[in-house]
Amino acid sequence: MAFSIGVNNNKEKSAWEIKLSGEVDISNAHLLKQQLDSSLAEAMQNIEIDAESLSYIDSTGLGVIIGTYGAIKKEGLWVKVANPRPNIKKLLNISGLEKVLCQ
Amino acid sequence: MTEVLKINVPGKAEYVGTVRLATAHVASYAGFDIDTVEDIKVAISEACTNIICHAHENPNFVYDVVLEVGGNVLTITVKDDGAGFGIEEYVTPVLGELQVGGLGIFIIRALMDEVDIQSEPGTGTNIRMTKHLQSIAV
Repeated sequence: MAFSIGVNNNKEKSAWEIKLSGEVDISNAHLLKQQLDSSLAEAMQNIEIDAESLSYIDSTGLGVIIGTYGAIKKEGLWVKVANPRPNIKKLLNISGLEKVLCQ
Repeated sequence: MTEVLKINVPGKAEYVGTVRLATAHVASYAGFDIDTVEDIKVAISEACTNIICHAHENPNFVYDVVLEVGGNVLTITVKDDGAGFGIEEYVTPVLGELQVGGLGIFIIRALMDEVDIQSEPGTGTNIRMTKHLQSIAV
């Protein structure tokens, strides 16, 4: 399934709303990183990833999210992953990321 | 009887999805439920990703994926003859301490029933993992 990223600057929440669709793996995780880096360069603020339409993500995609979390946490900002499907929720759980990213 | 599917895969990130799809079909055909098929998809992708990340300097390298179905077991072998890595140097990530790398092998071990990883610098990598069925359709 094709991968796509939707981006919205929610100024009320001071957050980038990143809507992911399709599959994120080693072939396209760099595109996610580019988008997150680009958004943060434009405005350093929180990131809320809507994963409702995300059907698959691997460790390279999770690594991008972890890296971003680590970078903006220092600024007192947060990254959240909202609406993950059960298979992705399971992956977040076993990797210990759920309690950090899905609060 | 064991049925075997062998795939010779170009060592490019773009083909990982193809392997994932083929493996999902085989796992489904073997009788695994949809949740377990999802687990197997993640495991095979992480194995392929690991091979690509620790493989050849040659950009045109290929690696082998072997799927074996039989005896109530799906066995998946992913191997290459590339650069390999020091498996004894692998450190299991500490949950709660977020790390960018090192998650792939941890995830494979969490999702599959048995995992054997052979890898040394200069000798390539061989990842063999199995998933058991209570009853199998083959």
